[in-house]
Amino acid sequence: MSFSASLRDVTLKYGDTEALSDITLALEPGKIYGLLGRNGAGKTTLLSLLSAFRRPTAGEVLVDDRPVWENIDVVSQVALIREGGDFDDTDTVKAAIEIGALRPSFDLDYALKLAERFELPLDRKVNQLSRGKRSVLAAVCGLASRAQLTMFDEVHLGMDAPTRDAFYKELLAEYLDRPHTVILSTHLIDEVANYLEEVVILDRGRIMRHENVEAFQGMGATLTGPADAVDAAAVGLEVLAEQRLGGTKSITVASALDAADRGRAAAAGVEIGPVGLQDLFIHLTDPDRTGA
Amino acid sequence: MSKTATLATRRYTLGLALFGESVKYFAAWILAAIILAAVVPLIVSQWRSIDISAWYLAANVGKYLAAIIAGGYLYTLLPILVAQGMTRRETAVSMGIFGLLWSLFLGTIALVGFLGEHALYGVFDWTQAPQQGEEYDLVLGSFGQALDFAAIYPLSYLLYCAGGALAGAAIYRSDTGWLILALVVPIGFAVDDLLSSADTWGPAFVVRFITGPLEDLGTWPAVVIALAVIAIGAWGTRRIILNTPIRAKQA
Repeated sequence: MSFSASLRDVTLKYGDTEALSDITLALEPGKIYGLLGRNGAGKTTLLSLLSAFRRPTAGEVLVDDRPVWENIDVVSQVALIREGGDFDDTDTVKAAIEIGALRPSFDLDYALKLAERFELPLDRKVNQLSRGKRSVLAAVCGLASRAQLTMFDEVHLGMDAPTRDAFYKELLAEYLDRPHTVILSTHLIDEVANYLEEVVILDRGRIMRHENVEAFQGMGATLTGPADAVDAAAVGLEVLAEQRLGGTKSITVASALDAADRGRAAAAGVEIGPVGLQDLFIHLTDPDRTGA
Repeated sequence: MSKTATLATRRYTLGLALFGESVKYFAAWILAAIILAAVVPLIVSQWRSIDISAWYLAANVGKYLAAIIAGGYLYTLLPILVAQGMTRRETAVSMGIFGLLWSLFLGTIALVGFLGEHALYGVFDWTQAPQQGEEYDLVLGSFGQALDFAAIYPLSYLLYCAGGALAGAAIYRSDTGWLILALVVPIGFAVDDLLSSADTWGPAFVVRFITGPLEDLGTWPAVVIALAVIAIGAWGTRRIILNTPIRAKQA
C-alpha cells in the first residue's frame, strides 16, 4: 500500500502573496517524483500542504484519496523531512531518532542501523552536529519512518558528495524493498535524475510541467562529436548548453531530432543522447523564456 | 517513546512520557529548591529570628516555572510532533495530560513542602508566615492552617500552566502572538489572587493593579472561577493549535 497525492484547484496565500495559484496535480502511488523549481517557486509550500503542515487558502488536498488535514490515519503515514529536520535541538541524536516511534510504522532498528552506517554520534546533542550530520539525521529519520508518502525537501544540504550518493542509494534500496511514494525536492537535479520516474516543475506558484522522465528527455537531445559536425547538425535548433574540449563539442538542444536529422548527424559522426534534465529545467524556467 | 506507539493511544502515552521525562529533567532543580528552602532559614537564623516562609518563595517560583514550561513545550513540540505525523488534536490532548499531571505533581510537592516547613519551623519555634505586608501578616499557626493555605496550589499551578500554554500557542501562531500576554498575565494574577489568601506573588507594578478587589469572594467561588478560567484557557489553546500552520524553517 502506498499513497497517492492530489491537489485540486489549490491556492495558498501568505498575506497578499500567492505562493501557489490554482494548482491541480495528481501523483500516482508507488513512484519516485522529482519536484523541481527555482527558489520561491512554491516547492516547500506544496510539500507543506501534502503533509498537513499548512492548510490551503482554497482548494482541496487529498492523500490516498482522503483529506489530509487532521486525518490521523493519513498523517501518521506521511513524512515530510525538511532541511535540517524538525528536532528539539537540546535532545541527543538518539532521543531525536526515538521520537520517530510516534509513528506506528517507524522502524527503530533500521534507524539505528542507518545511524551507525552514516556515523551519527548517538550521544551528542542535535545542536552540536555539523550541518551535514544534521541533514543525515533528518534523512535517517525520514527513511526509517517507513511512511507511505515520504517527502524530502532539500534534505541533502550540507551532505558531502559520498554521503549524498549513499543516501540516494539507500533511498532506492528502501523503495525497492517497500514500494511507496517518494517526492524529492532538490536543486541538485543531475544527481537525482536517474532515480526519478516522474518530474513536476513548479514555476512561480504554478505547475509548469508534469511528465515522466522519458518525456522530458524526449523534449531535447544532446549532440556530441566533432565541433564542425555538431555545429552543422544544430543549425536551426535552440541550443540550451554548450561544452567544448579540444575538437570535440557537446551541445544540448531544446527540441527532439526527427529521423532524417538523426541519420545525417550520425553519418557525420555525431552521437545523439537524451537531454540532461538540469539543462532542460534551466531552459524551461528561464525568465526570458517564460516572460518573467 | 522508545516503543512504537499505536495510533489510538499515542496521544495519552506521549502525555505520560512528557510528564515522566520532565520529572526526571527537573528533579535536580526541585531537589535544590527543597534543600535551599530548608537550609537558608537555618543559616539566616544565626543572625535573626525567622518569621517568613522560605517555602512560600520556592512554591511561587514554581508557578512561573509551570507557565514557562507549558508554553515552552508547546512552542517547541508542536512542529516536531506534526512532523512526526501527529495531528494537532492529538498534540492538544498530550499537552493537556501533561499539564494536568505536572500541576498535580508540583502542587503535591508544594503542599507537602508547606507541611514539612511547618514541622521544621515548629522545632525551632520560628514563625511560618507566607506574607508580611504593609496591610497584614499571614501566619500559618497550625498544620491545619498550612494545609488550608497550600491546598489550592495544584489548581494554581494548573492556572499558570493554562496561561503559559495559551501564550506559547499564540506566540507560535503569530509574530504578534505575545500581545496575548496583556490579557493572560493580569487575568492569571487576578484569579491566583482570588484563590490564595496571600497576595499574588509577582512584579509589584503589575500585581498592585489586579489584586484586592475580589479577595473576599470565598474559597469555593474562587475555585469555580479558577476552573472556568482554566477551561477557557485550555479551550483557547486548543483552538489556536488546531488552526496553526507549521512555520517555515529559517535558512
